[in-house]
This record gives sequence, C-alpha cells and structure tokens, in this order.
Amino acid sequence: MSSSPGTRPSSGSILVGIVAVAVVGAAATWVVLNGSQILQSFFPPEPKTAQGHAIKDLYDIVFAIAAIIFFLVEGLIIWSVIRYRRKPGDDELPPQTHGHNLAEVIWTVIPTIIVFFLFFVSWRTLNTVEAHSPKPDLLVKAVAAQFQWSFEYLPADAPPDAKPLFTVNLPVGADGGLTLPAGKTTHLYLSSPDVIHAFYVPQFLFKRDVIPGVVNQFDLTLDASDAGQTFRGQCAELCGIGHRVMMFEVHALAPDAFDAWYQGKLTEAAATPTPVPSGAANGPKLDLVAQNVKFDKTDLSAPANTAFTIHFDNRDPGTAHDVDILDASGAKVFDGKDFPGPAAQDYGVGALPAGTYKFECSIHPALMFGTLTVQ
Amino acid sequence: MATTALTPAASAYRSGLYEWLTTTDHKKIGILYVVNSFIFFFLGGILALGIRTELALPGVQFVDGEVYNQLFTMHGTTMIFLFIIPMLVGFGNYVVPLQIGAPDMAFPRINALSFWMLPLAGILLFLGFITGGAASAGWTSYAPLSEDRTLASVGPGQDLWIMGLTLIGTSSILGGINFLVTIFKMRAPGMTMFRMPILVWTVLVTSILQVMATPVLTSALIMLFIDRNYGGHFFDPSNGGIAILWQNIFWFYSHPAVYIMVLPAMGMISEILPVFSRKPLFGYKAFVFATAGIGALGFSVWAHHMFTTGLVFLPFFSLMTFLIAVPTGVKMFNWVFTLWRGKLTFSTPLLFALGFLSMFLLGGINGAFSAAVPVDFALQDTYWVVAHLHYVLFGGSVFGVFAGVYYWFPKMTGRMLNESLGKLQFVMVFIGFNLTFFPMHQLGLAGMPRRIADYASNVGWNDLNLAASIGGFVIAASMIPFLWNVFISLRNGKIAGDDPWQANTLEWATSSPPPPYNFDHLPEIRSERPLFDLRHGRTGH
Repeated sequence: MSSSPGTRPSSGSILVGIVAVAVVGAAATWVVLNGSQILQSFFPPEPKTAQGHAIKDLYDIVFAIAAIIFFLVEGLIIWSVIRYRRKPGDDELPPQTHGHNLAEVIWTVIPTIIVFFLFFVSWRTLNTVEAHSPKPDLLVKAVAAQFQWSFEYLPADAPPDAKPLFTVNLPVGADGGLTLPAGKTTHLYLSSPDVIHAFYVPQFLFKRDVIPGVVNQFDLTLDASDAGQTFRGQCAELCGIGHRVMMFEVHALAPDAFDAWYQGKLTEAAATPTPVPSGAANGPKLDLVAQNVKFDKTDLSAPANTAFTIHFDNRDPGTAHDVDILDASGAKVFDGKDFPGPAAQDYGVGALPAGTYKFECSIHPALMFGTLTVQ
Repeated sequence: MATTALTPAASAYRSGLYEWLTTTDHKKIGILYVVNSFIFFFLGGILALGIRTELALPGVQFVDGEVYNQLFTMHGTTMIFLFIIPMLVGFGNYVVPLQIGAPDMAFPRINALSFWMLPLAGILLFLGFITGGAASAGWTSYAPLSEDRTLASVGPGQDLWIMGLTLIGTSSILGGINFLVTIFKMRAPGMTMFRMPILVWTVLVTSILQVMATPVLTSALIMLFIDRNYGGHFFDPSNGGIAILWQNIFWFYSHPAVYIMVLPAMGMISEILPVFSRKPLFGYKAFVFATAGIGALGFSVWAHHMFTTGLVFLPFFSLMTFLIAVPTGVKMFNWVFTLWRGKLTFSTPLLFALGFLSMFLLGGINGAFSAAVPVDFALQDTYWVVAHLHYVLFGGSVFGVFAGVYYWFPKMTGRMLNESLGKLQFVMVFIGFNLTFFPMHQLGLAGMPRRIADYASNVGWNDLNLAASIGGFVIAASMIPFLWNVFISLRNGKIAGDDPWQANTLEWATSSPPPPYNFDHLPEIRSERPLFDLRHGRTGH
C-alpha cells in the first residue's frame, strides 16, 4: 500500500489528492468572492472610545508584523516542501549541513529587535489606555454580582464605597444599562460581592476583571459621534451557571440629553420611594421564592378575573429580582418592581382573564421563569 | 489430557495480563501511558463534541448551565492532564532510555507507580459525573468561584477534581525525577550531553519544569481543598483572603505546563524532520540553548494570563512574554533549514511533523497579540484565546503526538502502520482542525466570550460557530481511519525490521520491538547520529 519511490502513486493517494484540490479550490473561490468581508473579520470592531482607538492602532501594528512573519515562514515551509522532494530512485545523500553560526545570530537578533519594538509600542499604548483623568466628568461604580450588573452613580471625587446618588438596577433596556455622556470621560470603579466577573464591551476593545475584595478602575471616553448609540456588553469571566446571561448595555447620550436624564434620575431618587402597590388583601395569596437565581416553583395558579397577591421573597443577598407576567403574545400584563435581597414584598396583581401566562424575572429571564395558569 | 492442554493456554493469557499490570519495563510502561492517554483523548474528544453540538446553532438545544460548564471544564482538564502531558511522558518513557543506550529507567518501580496513579486520577475526575456533577469552574478553577458552595454551581466534583489533580501532580514529580536521574546517570559510554538526541534534551528540560513547578500547583490545590472543606480563607476575600492569589499560584505552574505540553513534541519532530530530510538537524546546539531558554523564560511569564486583572506588573510580564518568542523563533528557523536543500520523503510521520510546523507557527504568532497588553484587553477570555491555545496544543502537541505514533509504532510493535490510511487521517485532521479553530480567531475579535452555552442569533456569530462545529466532527471522523489503521496493522502490518526509516538514533539499533533491557550490543557513539555514522561512516559528515 505504501507508495515507495519509483512506483506509481496508489489510487488511494490520487483520491486524497483530488479531494484536497477540490477543498482548496472551493475555499479559494469563497475567499475571492468575499474578500473585503473576510479581511474585515481579522480586525476588531470599529472602536467607540478614545482608549479603544489607541488599542485598535496597536492591533494594526501587531497584525501587520504578524502577517509578514507568518507569510514569510509559511512560505519557506511550503517552498521547501515543493522544491526539496526526494526524486524517485535518488539514493544520494544531500549535503550534510550541520548549521550556520551567522544564520543563528541573524535569526536571534532580528526577532529580538522586533519584539523590543512591539514591547515599546504596546507599553506606550498601555500608558494611554491606563491613564486616569484628574477630573473625570462622571464617576460610576459598576457592580457585578451573580448574575447581573447594576450601575451606581457616585458624586464627584467620591471613594468607591460612597453612597450612590442613584442606582440603575436593570442591566439592559431603555430604563436600564450604563448611560454615559458621549465625548466625555467617565471614571469607572468595578466591584463584585461574590466571584470574579469581567466588564467587557467588544466595541470598546476593552475588558477589566471585577474582583471581590479589590476595586479596579479605569477611564472611558466615548467618542462624541457615538451619541444615540447602544453598545452590547457581557461578563467575560466564568462566574457560574448564569455566566452567559450576564449581559448589559451601554447607552451613549449627547451631553445635553445625558444631563436631562441625569437630573431626572436625581429627582426620582430624591422623591420618596413609591410604595410597592400593596393591597389585594382581599385576593388569594401566592408564595414565590427566589434563591440562587432560581424560582422555587415553575408552576403557579390563580383564579380567573380576581385580583391576587404574589408574596415574593428574594433570598439572594445583593441581587435584585422581580416578577413580571406575560400573556401568550409576550405582552407584559404585570410589571413587578425589582428589589435586591434579602427582602420580601407583596405584589398586587390585577384581575386576569383565564388562560396560560408566563412569569419571569425580567433581570434573569433565561434562568428564572415559569408558567402561571389562570382558571 | 484435555485439562493439561488447557492449563498452559489459560495461564499464558493470565500471565500476559499479569505482566502488563506488574511490569516495570520502561517500554511496556511507555505503551501503557500511550494507550491510557489515547483513551482519555477519546473521552475528552466526546466532551468537546458536546460543546460544539451546543454551540453549532444559537439557542439552547442540547445542554445548558451546569452541564455545559462541566463539559468544558472536564474537556480542558482531561486533554491537558490526562492526555497531552501523560502522552508525551509515555513517548519519553519508551524512547529516552533507548536513545541514550540505557537498559531501563533509573527507578523502574517508581516508574510503574507514576503510571498507575494516572488511571486512578482519571477515574476520580470522571466520578464527578455520577456523584452529582463533575467540576464546573473551568480547568483553571478560579477561586472564589471554585469555592462557592452557596450557588450549588460547583458540586462535589470540584473536590474530586482537586484530588485527581493532586495525584497527577505527584505522578508528574516522580516521573520528572526519574527522567532526570536516568538522563544524567545512565547514558551509554560515548553519549555525552551534546550527543544526546534533541528529544532527550526536551524531556530533560520538561522534567526540570515538572519538578520545579508541580509542587507549587499541589500547594494551591491543597489550599483550595482546605478552603472548601475545612473553613480556610486563603482565596476568600470576604474573610481576608485574596481571590487573585489562586491565579498567581495556579499559573506559576500552568504556564510552565504549556512548555511541558509542547517541548517534548518539539523534540519528537526534531527527530523526525532530519530523518525524512536525510540531513542532520540544523543548528543542534542553538536548538539545545533555545530549549533551555524557553524553559527558563517559561517561569517568568505566568501573569500574562492575568493582564486584565489589573493587579500584576504589566510591563515586566509583557516584555518576558514577547522575549519567549525569540528562542521559539530560533527553533522554527532551525526546523525550516533542516528541510532546506534536503531530500524529503513524504511518509506520514513527516506529514504530521510539517503539520506541526505550519500550525504551531500560527499558534506562536497569534500569541504575540496577547503579549501586547492593550490588545490582550480586547482578546482575553474571548474565543481568540481558545483559537490560540488550540493552535499551540492541538496544532503543535497533538500533531507532534501523531507524528510520533506513526514514527515509533514500528519500533513498539514490530509492524508498520498503513501509509494510505495514515495520509487519509492526516488530510482529515488537518482540514477538520483548521475548520474548527481558525474561525475562533474571528469569533473572538467579534466579541464572543469563552465558556458560554448560548449566544444571540443577531450578533453575527452564527456561521463561524457552525463551521467550527462541523470541523469538530471532521476531527472526530479522522480518528476512524486511525483506529482502523492501528487495528489492521497490529495483525497484518508490514514487518518493520530494526530500522525502517534509515534513522539516526540508538533506538533503531536494536530489534523491533526491543528485547528486555534493550540492547545486546551498542554501536560506537561519536556524534548525535550514531546510526548515520554506522551506515555512512564519518565521511558522511
């Protein structure tokens, strides 16, 4: 079966050859047809922050050098494979070269110069990315807990453990997420009450670990042109079963829109917290417990056309949960207000027509949900 | 008479099994290592297929949450600790005493002990699956997640994981000492240090890394065990511990472990490239110094896994990480110039060795991106890192392992593996490997984090994930011709003879398979290629 020199190649190796040529041909055609899109996929997304631009510039330098070295060495390998095949029947030894000192010096010194160059450019970029503005325009503490983000807006120059002016508990959506002024510098503190998480926004080309017992911090300067955009963020350090649902959003607002939003939040926080609609003392009471980012029940039932109460016990310290009820079309028919545990509240739910509904925690919909049967 | 006829046959069978269970022959122990490692390779591969099945399409179809976390945790743990490291130790076990002209390892019974700890450790690790959940905090088991009992996300499997790894570590330390003594004290007359085959040099440096780094891992594991079971607070920040301490200790072992996983594979292809180019290795001494350089620098780069923690001195670890590219580059050029102006015979071992060269090259270069700290801020913990580590450990080590299997199988069994099936396997695994891991570069750049069971369908990750999953199954399919090849070749393979490849080193100077205690007589050793000298005389140089 083996094709020794001098014999014709076996049908097996011809088949392998045909398959290989077909695969390479198909791949080459595909590459030619989608050239610019493919090239784009070897670069990170268009950066949206001043720090991100610096990182992108560094990436381009590293990529260029890497591509040159890759094609040079891979080319040498392919050239050797094609050029220096042993001819059938050739039993003569090739020249027995044991080495070449000058060559060794060259391919030690040149790579050393290249890596020192790369080290210095990345060090320079590092100093830009790690720089802290002496007077940031905004101070926010991002708190990452299993498995949700919340954002505490702090007074200027406050230490990380200062009492926040207001807190955004929902990590995503129009009333949630990290809202920042475009074109201005925000200083972020990162804090975790449980395990290690990581603050990661792909379009910022940046991530930083959120470590319990330590407060990490960095500056973030959104481009002025980002106003009105929303960026997707996600926990990047494995933090347990709910790791993949730990999303957040960053909303970039134009400075005046941001000020209006900020003032609105301050006013809201100053007002006496609206009591959760208590009530429905006349209705039946359902018990629901949230623990370890799970509901204790996946099935609830309630009488039709009668107001009822959900006694909701959130037993997760520092983690906010709520209960929303959705009808068959996915429309929200009840929107419970989220609150951090450990605490319990009564949600008064209005009368619902008979049918099957879904209940969920709007902060952890992928992990906390169940069926509510109204009959 | 019937009974007397049966008795010898039965006892012969029993004595065969008994012989394998009690052997202290380095060659049999080497084969046990290789077979055991392949079993765990297939188990780890099945876990990987579970991961790729779930990720093929957006949405949760197959496994979620805890089970998914167990899959990737056990995949990484199995492939690193139960496949690559022991597999290379197995080849070292078989080949090193032969290559230095020794009759056996220095401590044959410790050698057997080192091996038998591994299946036991493997059983402990996998027991987690039937005792309420295997370890699920990642193969890195970062504290405090790995200590977390309140969320029930990390079950009893984590304690089994700690025990299993401690056993493997002990096996590794014993094995390292055994290799060091063997290499320093048992070389044949004439086998000076600078006449040792490169594989022996790489095993020597690897053994030093094992002996120096593994005790550090063991201490971390014991601390974690105390934290979990006896109320310790080493890594628990809510009681005065330091979360990041685990990472510092863990990576102080686990970065050198990367070199433990790749240096012997480099040594294996450094044996294979010269034989199939019919030239000596280009720059033998430069290669030895580069190996030692990688080993030394390997101890000063651990914190490049921790750039995004913001709690390590970034410029130092960045510089050291960049510098390690220099000795690696020296090796790469020496390999290429071994091929240069040679006369290449494309047998399967050379194909896999060339696969190593071309794929490890990419795995080295895409590592340089992470050495540039700010770029690492973008890439860390994304699929880019998954691509990088698989180009090093699969594109490098696994291709090296298969090169070694095809190269030394004739010595181990006396029979050749089938070349056509070997080439078919190479083509399949080469295509499957690139289809699986190349798209992960793009996924990482596009922002897909590792260790998630699901992803949104509208963020542009669908096609690349599907490609990677198809590639994963192509890799799995490539194992069919391999296993079939081993099966038929053991029965009907071409008889190998002592030296089927016209090789250079001493293991080919004895019969295939070699007798117990290896050599009846040794050729003179006057260079690093004693068999070449025997064949061509000194004029060949």
